[in-house]
Amino acid sequence: MYKYLLQSVENINWLAIIPLILFFIFFVVIVVVTLRKKKSYIEKMGNLPLEEE
Amino acid sequence: MSNIEQFSYDNAIVRKFAIASVVFGIIGMLVGLTIALQLVFPALSFDQPYLTYGRLRPLHTNAVIFAFVGNGIFLGVYYSLQRLLKAPMYSKFLSNFHFWGWQAIILAAAITLPLGITSSHEYAELEWPIDIAIAVVWIAFGINMFGTILKRRESHMYVAIWFYIATWVTVTILHIFNNLVIPVSLFKSYPVFAGVQDALVQWWYGHNAVAFFLTTPYLGLMYYFLPKAANRPVFSYRLSIIHFWSLIFIYIWAGPHHLLYTSLPDWAQSLGVVFSLMLIAPSWGGMLNGLLTLRGAWDRVRTDPILKFMVVAVTAYGMSTFEGPMMSIKAMNAITHYTDWTIGHVHIGALGWNGMLTFGILYWLMPRIYNTKLYSVKLANTHFWLGTLGIIFYAVPLYWAGVTQQLMWKQFTPDGFLQYGNFLETVTQIIPMYAIRIVGGTIYLIGVFIMVYNLWKTMASGVFQASEKAEAPAREVYHPHAGDNWHRWFERRSVLFTALALVAVIIGGLVEILPMMWVESNVPKIETVRPYTALELQGRDIYIREGCVGCHSQMIRPFRSETERYGEFSKSGEFIYDRPFLWGSKRTGPDLHRIGGKYPDSWHYNHMLDAESMSPGSIMPPYPWLITDDLDTSDTEKKINVLMALGTPYDESYARNANKYLERQALEIAASLRRDGVNVPDIEKKEIVALIAYLQRLGTDIKKQGVTSSSN
Repeated sequence: MYKYLLQSVENINWLAIIPLILFFIFFVVIVVVTLRKKKSYIEKMGNLPLEEE
Repeated sequence: MSNIEQFSYDNAIVRKFAIASVVFGIIGMLVGLTIALQLVFPALSFDQPYLTYGRLRPLHTNAVIFAFVGNGIFLGVYYSLQRLLKAPMYSKFLSNFHFWGWQAIILAAAITLPLGITSSHEYAELEWPIDIAIAVVWIAFGINMFGTILKRRESHMYVAIWFYIATWVTVTILHIFNNLVIPVSLFKSYPVFAGVQDALVQWWYGHNAVAFFLTTPYLGLMYYFLPKAANRPVFSYRLSIIHFWSLIFIYIWAGPHHLLYTSLPDWAQSLGVVFSLMLIAPSWGGMLNGLLTLRGAWDRVRTDPILKFMVVAVTAYGMSTFEGPMMSIKAMNAITHYTDWTIGHVHIGALGWNGMLTFGILYWLMPRIYNTKLYSVKLANTHFWLGTLGIIFYAVPLYWAGVTQQLMWKQFTPDGFLQYGNFLETVTQIIPMYAIRIVGGTIYLIGVFIMVYNLWKTMASGVFQASEKAEAPAREVYHPHAGDNWHRWFERRSVLFTALALVAVIIGGLVEILPMMWVESNVPKIETVRPYTALELQGRDIYIREGCVGCHSQMIRPFRSETERYGEFSKSGEFIYDRPFLWGSKRTGPDLHRIGGKYPDSWHYNHMLDAESMSPGSIMPPYPWLITDDLDTSDTEKKINVLMALGTPYDESYARNANKYLERQALEIAASLRRDGVNVPDIEKKEIVALIAYLQRLGTDIKKQGVTSSSN
């Protein structure tokens, strides 16, 4: 089975692979940036809709 | 906290959009009920062209999407944006221009669609002058929104506003690209893309109309109104950030899942499948974020109808965003596509997610802007149960119908023949399900009427606060001691943010669509495929006018069950002159791609006059006007010229002599009709002849092996 997978490597469509890699990088960046946000900022933002009352 | 500024929120515009949403919601649902009834009682089109299923179905979808949900979006945005930014809307004039402009567009749609003026692109049926009006009004909304953002008093932009911005940016792009057309007249145009490319652009649009009109703005509303109603902050603000970025990035890629097993190149289909599956993650992240916001407040869900509506809405969002990716798996899609399963699926979204959230917001918001209490919590609870039951009675029968019908389509006898060779058998089998669906829709609509009464009484018991006083400190950037840099930085951030969102959504569009435009090998040419004759072209435009595409696909998938039933599977090269493409997305009737030459001309004549005379039990409405109305040939030359400008290879002289060719072909068909006993005076001048010419041409080109390219 592995043999077949390897045989078809040349036919893998890079047009389909590139977006996947792109998204993976994008996602990791977003997660890292989000997790690094300060707790005070996150709390303030979460409470924004409730502020006016 | 120095420098407190006083200002007021504009509630008048919120109320306007709220009323419009309810009024058009009822109209949209009534039209939906009408066409649901027509599927069981076809006589309900009363032999009127303006009342056929084909013309009313786009009216229903447009009314629900753009009038009910559209006005719902604006009601929520105008309420929450002002409060989240601690600023009134940028311009009252633009608010009102937006409101009245949007309603005028809805009115224009309500007039033109029953008249058969349509581009036939699903959920983008409106013709080009209305498209331009939509663009103008949408830009006015954008200026108003971004103007408010720029002069805000709250320096941070809450996640709901991100969703609003992404909505605005993406809808702008989608609307422009899917409506690129060359006009023939005020009411007729041809799209610049043809066949497979047109299909890809349309479903890139169609899918993202769901994503960026029915979903992202409503997620913004969820992130604002759910915490308000529950009186606690969203479960995880971090999750909402990840939800936002991954959702808008992934959504834009998923369009091709509407075209699985079609002539779309395989790589594009696979791309659509992969990204559709990935969509589960952000969608469910968002759903869980919504539901978990109620942690510690579930006891209130038992008593508070507003929270009940919101919980069902968010649950419906979770259900349909699970179901969507499942339906995008090719093996599943082979079963669900073209069937009523899809109709059930979209109604979980429309009735459950959009409808229930809108109702929850209205029950929460109307008493507030009237400075009073909800007239009756009991009635709201009744509405909730009717709505929920209505959804179940609507969707479940259609799931049942979808699976039943598809299994019947695919059933072979032990000898290898189709067990249900007559398509109609598979339709009559599911009529009872259509009937139960009517019950579900009616229950849901009764609930809405109860809401109208309840809200009416609420409004009558309070005093409308057209403008609501508020105060907030000026944004620090305006503080005389703060440096100018801060000002620039914050303002730049909202602009920067918009640019980032634009990039995130545009990548998907580019990677999917550009190769289809540039790489010729994606659409292999077929030597024998020729442009339509003048008469066939006119017939095709009648097919478009009557909305035949609403019930008949023109795309035979490469399954034995389909090639046995319909003939050779459809190839992308066969559609290169199709402007617009007419592949369809639902088979209430059989596929028509290989209908050409299958029956004599007189069969089509009789079938259009009274479908039951040829197919007993058929639920297709009669089209008597096609036999009495003369074909309008005044624009034939112009149509050919526009198509030539778009690259259709007609001879130079063909346009000039188009009507001569048209009349010649019409006489041939008229003669064949007369031979079969059709004795209608001047039949060669009637619309039916053009339609027959088109139907008889469908899918026949690839059978003409070895024909040389002498004609046109």
